[in-house]
Amino acid sequence: MSKMDPKALRIRVENISNIPTIPSVLKQLSTIIENPKISLNEISHFVSKDPALTTKILQMVNSALYGFPGRISSVNHAVMLLGLNVVKGLLLSVSVFEIMHKAMIGLREHSIGVAIASKVLAQKKGLKEPEEVFVAGLLHDVGKVILTLMYPEEYDKTVKEAESAGISIFDAERNHFSETHAAVAGWLSEKWHFPKKLCECIENHHRPQVSTLAPLETAIVHMADVLVKARGLGFSGDNLVPEVNPKAWETLGLAEADLREILKELEDSVEQAEEEFKS
Amino acid sequence: MPKIPVEQLKTGMKLGRPLMNSSGMVLMAEGTELTESRISKIENMGVDSVFIDGPSRPAKPKEDLLDALERRFAKTAGNPQMSLIKKAVREHIEAMYE
Repeated sequence: MSKMDPKALRIRVENISNIPTIPSVLKQLSTIIENPKISLNEISHFVSKDPALTTKILQMVNSALYGFPGRISSVNHAVMLLGLNVVKGLLLSVSVFEIMHKAMIGLREHSIGVAIASKVLAQKKGLKEPEEVFVAGLLHDVGKVILTLMYPEEYDKTVKEAESAGISIFDAERNHFSETHAAVAGWLSEKWHFPKKLCECIENHHRPQVSTLAPLETAIVHMADVLVKARGLGFSGDNLVPEVNPKAWETLGLAEADLREILKELEDSVEQAEEEFKS
Repeated sequence: MPKIPVEQLKTGMKLGRPLMNSSGMVLMAEGTELTESRISKIENMGVDSVFIDGPSRPAKPKEDLLDALERRFAKTAGNPQMSLIKKAVREHIEAMYE
């Protein structure tokens, strides 16, 4: 396949509901979420029709790593505590998790790792809403899932090329699709009306220096991605650890002891999260 | 943090994570010290294993993890920030085996 036209790719991505290879649960959720006036009741109604989704979302928010162990009993309650945007993001994550595991083995573990590391970093930096950064971490690689679902053969070639040529998956994607998973996820985050800061974190996690609304949050997700790759948790298509962006490094100002602390928390939480989400 | 099969639980061990039922309700809090009656309660709940406080050892030998670490950082040798990250991960891995 010759290089794709980025505009045509964007239009296809934004109309994922029309693509036959996209699973129906994701299509339905996407349609619900893209409505900017979506209310709490509509979300709750949609979720309550699907017992498996209800269980998964409550399991996620009640997980010890999320900080409300065992206290959230309903989707309504979750929205009150966490806000509509976080719940929207978590819903997407849990419905994408299953697909993620099939699309690229290890990507789910990688994503959970980045979410946890992002949250730990956010707390370390004193951010008031670590949950949003957690969601950004969960969804930062959702573009890879979308690309494999849309172009399974081409994406498979991309992953193989990254490995054989010793380049990053980000650069290999550029060679094959003209655009990257980060751009794809950014387009979808806008379509889903995620808060602008969250969109920035997701879209710019490979180039945190360009974020203007959420430079700290983007630096956090970027650093979390580097750390999880450095520790070798899960698999994201990259065999090599990408270099940390110097500006993001400076923004965060982490010492070796901080890194060790974050790695330790990450290790403990990932072990538990894997148990909880493997079903 | 190790996950211990119920039949290997001993009194004095502490729960590393809260024990929850399938709908996420907390049945025993994190840090609860196990007594004989608590162990039999856990047995009656039908769970196979629980998280116990303390370090757990990874399944792979340390050398494998450290070799893989070298391979992942093969291309970033001259970068001081990456060297610091690598050093932190190396020490982190070594600490898991202590």
